[in-house]
Amino acid sequence: MRPEVERELIKKCRAGDSRFYEPLVRAYEQPGLRVALGMMGNLDDARDSLQEAFVKAFNALGRFDITRAFGPWFFQILRNQCRDNLRSRQARFRMEALDENLEIRPADPKTGPDRLQERSAVKATVWEALSMISEEHREIIVLKELQGFRYSEIASILEIPEGTVASRLFHARQALKDALVDMGVEYP
Amino acid sequence: MRYLDGEASPEERARIESEAAGSTELSRDLTVFRMMKEDLMGLQFSPELRRVSVWDSVHSQLTRPIGWILLVIGTAVWVGYGAYLYAVSDGEPFEKMATGAIVIGILLLLVSVIWEQYRAWLTDPYKDIQR
Repeated sequence: MRPEVERELIKKCRAGDSRFYEPLVRAYEQPGLRVALGMMGNLDDARDSLQEAFVKAFNALGRFDITRAFGPWFFQILRNQCRDNLRSRQARFRMEALDENLEIRPADPKTGPDRLQERSAVKATVWEALSMISEEHREIIVLKELQGFRYSEIASILEIPEGTVASRLFHARQALKDALVDMGVEYP
Repeated sequence: MRYLDGEASPEERARIESEAAGSTELSRDLTVFRMMKEDLMGLQFSPELRRVSVWDSVHSQLTRPIGWILLVIGTAVWVGYGAYLYAVSDGEPFEKMATGAIVIGILLLLVSVIWEQYRAWLTDPYKDIQR
């Protein structure tokens, strides 16, 4: 969605008409669900967190700096909501078997069928390994790998310097690699 | 990490590539991280999941408070107006006092039950459990 369209929609929402919030929800719900699912580990909790984040964002639109982009601000709210829900429910990251909801696809169009089949077997293990790393590491991996945010965007969402993003990402990847190796995944 | 994520400058990229060419360990680490990245990026939602929108739930949550506010205001206006009409109407004062006492008593009981339920809900350890 173009920034000027977002700004117009936000202005209308601020005037009290929630119908203009729908395009924003529809534009951000899929990326939001990916992030929430990565952080919460199961679809029910992810949907709850996403809905609550959208409601909170709408109620806070009056305080939103309209010169900024809506996306990073919303993902900041979503990330905080996921963390709050994990804490208030005293729930650990509850891993759900996502075979029905997730599918594997080649990230690289040049990837051949052999490589795809081989890596497909690792899919469930990779997903499970996410539950074995810390919340801080998991969230940065989710933002970078599952959602594909750039370093500057992650820095804005997590409110940390870009240099910290790079170093935290390095440690998170190391932790994930260790978890995968512990689970028997072989890397060259 | 910036190199791996395609955010390194051309100079940084050239430096890392020349270092990786001379270091088996660095080259191996880059390969492992690249494979992990590919595995993670390969996790995609199924098309069915993409069709389900949260908009309806969000919209109902946004409009519900407005509905409650209007209901409470409307009820308060009608109750107040009714009480005023009853107070200024013809009738014995003791009848009005008795009726008023009944109405106030019912309202007090109702408020105390609601307050009790609310306090019980606040301390309910299972309130976040989804049924």
